[in-house]
Amino acid sequence: MSGAAIATERDMADRAAALLLREARLLDAEAYDDWLELFTDDVHYWMPSTESRYRAGSDASPTRMAFFDDTKDDLRIRVRRFQAPTAWSEDPPTRHVHVVTNIETFPTDAADTYDVHSVVAAHRSRGEDDNTVTLARRADSVVDTPDGLRIRRRHIFTPGVVLQSRNLNTFL
Amino acid sequence: MTDLGTTQTVELCTADLDPGEMRRIELDGYDPVAVYNIDGVYFTTADRCTHATASLSNGTLADDCVTCPIHNGTFHVPTGTATTFPAKIDLQTFRTRIENGQVIAELTPSQSSTESTTPSAPQRQEQTGRDHTSTTAVAVNRTTTTRSIASGSELVDAPNGRVDRRIFWDQDIYERELLQVFAKSWLFIAHDSQIPRPGDFITTWMGEDAVIVVRQLDGTIRAVINSCTHRGNRVCHADAGHVDQFVCNYHGWSFGIDGGRLLGVHESNIYEADPNWRPDELGLVEVAHLNTYKGLVFATFDRNAPTLAEFLGDFAWYLDVMLDNAEGGTEFLAGNVRSVLDCNWKVAAENFAGDSLHAGWTHDSGARAILDTSVATLAEGESYHVNVNGHGWEFNLDGVGNAATLGQRDVMRYLRSRHGEVVERLGETRANMLGAISSVNVFPNFSFLPGQATFRIWHPRGPHQTLLYTWVLVNKSAPQEVKDAYRKGVMMTFSPSGVFEMDDGENWEQATQVNRGVVTRHQPLHYGLGHDTAIDHPELPGNVHRSQVNDANQRAFYTHWAELMDSDPPAIPGATP
Repeated sequence: MSGAAIATERDMADRAAALLLREARLLDAEAYDDWLELFTDDVHYWMPSTESRYRAGSDASPTRMAFFDDTKDDLRIRVRRFQAPTAWSEDPPTRHVHVVTNIETFPTDAADTYDVHSVVAAHRSRGEDDNTVTLARRADSVVDTPDGLRIRRRHIFTPGVVLQSRNLNTFL
Repeated sequence: MTDLGTTQTVELCTADLDPGEMRRIELDGYDPVAVYNIDGVYFTTADRCTHATASLSNGTLADDCVTCPIHNGTFHVPTGTATTFPAKIDLQTFRTRIENGQVIAELTPSQSSTESTTPSAPQRQEQTGRDHTSTTAVAVNRTTTTRSIASGSELVDAPNGRVDRRIFWDQDIYERELLQVFAKSWLFIAHDSQIPRPGDFITTWMGEDAVIVVRQLDGTIRAVINSCTHRGNRVCHADAGHVDQFVCNYHGWSFGIDGGRLLGVHESNIYEADPNWRPDELGLVEVAHLNTYKGLVFATFDRNAPTLAEFLGDFAWYLDVMLDNAEGGTEFLAGNVRSVLDCNWKVAAENFAGDSLHAGWTHDSGARAILDTSVATLAEGESYHVNVNGHGWEFNLDGVGNAATLGQRDVMRYLRSRHGEVVERLGETRANMLGAISSVNVFPNFSFLPGQATFRIWHPRGPHQTLLYTWVLVNKSAPQEVKDAYRKGVMMTFSPSGVFEMDDGENWEQATQVNRGVVTRHQPLHYGLGHDTAIDHPELPGNVHRSQVNDANQRAFYTHWAELMDSDPPAIPGATP
């Protein structure tokens, strides 16, 4: 690979990482309007339920129940609840820390589109001692737009068959 | 103290024990007892350790506790309470006094010598096809042990709208509940549509018993305990799928899908050389009864249970609203979203049985997110609480209130377009119940929301935790885009990521967890809404109450619960040790 190509790749990897880290900070800060801006208008945000199945035999259906199977409008609906004064379980606010690691960025055949993989550990704390960590792997399709990098597709896979919490009151 | 029946005043011995001494007394017609002198006060308990068979009077008495000589379990003599491992079951104690220098006690005569009976229940005629009654094993009546926990009737006082907080906290009440409520009831285990082909299976729970539900070669359904009959390991580790047999990972014991019959074992020639080898008796243990009602598969561990039809009673008339409003019946959509709540299962179940009141307050933010408005005001006019056998359905007749919260136009169009057809099939009233503001619980722990079509089980995980399984139910005949809309709508509203469900969990968890405080646990709860609202209704069967803003169904739920807690134990598979 030429030096210029390597530099471009490294530059793109840095920009993708910066995008994901910024996203994590916005979520921790409850800056949901800014967070929505990181996604394209035609985004598909998908987190299917996890099933434990034998290797031989049928996989779980790709159209099975999900935690998220959202368009941009669906994401806006969720944000609307978070911002509602009557969201009682958000007052006092939940304290979130999203840890993002394992970031890998790859070019695709489309010049302005990249595959970005990462892992998130979402720490959630409520009340005095109610703490949960939800782990997930993410596979994103990120596009380079005049306004900067934007997420067009996010597929989230969580290892747990059972969500270890009464609700998933954040994004992953 | 504890009584198992009528007692008789019996002279045990001369009151000449030294303090710290205990003595075994054997009298005709009575089980052996131990008499103790603790600091000058005399006590009497059963002499036989409840753990195994040792004589406690051969053990050690220190302060007011006796230690068994064989396994070192200890009991608090004045109350009989089992205090240390491995003693778990409390000791029977007997009222004792001294009269004219003699130790006098109120003893219960010996039970008859037969500990086990095979119930002579006739083969039950079940309601629909695909029924199966297990013929494995001999069901045995377990006699109750000393009842040192509060009775159901002490814990629930429905006429005064009172429920004791201990039922949401105490471990011993929970342990009893697993047997008296879960093992005595018909429990929902699957929807017919989840296992269409022979060899298809799902795994689930009945109380805390892990079971496998399998479609048989002949098209019927059977359910077996997910535990190898050899050393107990699970034989099925997947949530769902398709197999030809279940093979245990430990020693290779292999069980067929046809009722779990033992097909073979690893190194079988060694077993087969043993004349006592009886593979026919080593199949996976089946539930006592299994039957389906319009797609819903139920099972029970209690050989003496009423039929499923009797268990549901007139509630079946209401269930038809969801299960029989279209030709071809219903199906579950793929996917089972599961989560864990740190609340007692009953807190959630009672909410679905009768709590319309919370919606307007708890779920305001959810309604604003989906519909940009507050939750619809509950119409005082035509709404009801109905309960049958502890099952509860609270509803109004607006036809669409629940369905609208899904925020899915395809769903609303579908319901409106079918209304006439449903009126013809089920009548005007039930047609108006279909998508209305309502909620349901089938006793003990199977709930759903008509309209939103979310179906769920609150699996008990100890007194302070619930494992929630959820599914979406649709008509088989609904167009694909309508099914997709239901799936999407439920995800947005009543899943752990849903804008409605998010606010419930915390309420229920805190309502349970506060009871860690011993003083808090003594405080009353209020279940007194709608006391005099019972009415006769020309069309609605069951116990009908006017107004869905009511606690009638909750009172009925807990009354039924209390009755079960105080009733005879179930006849479960397996022998009493």
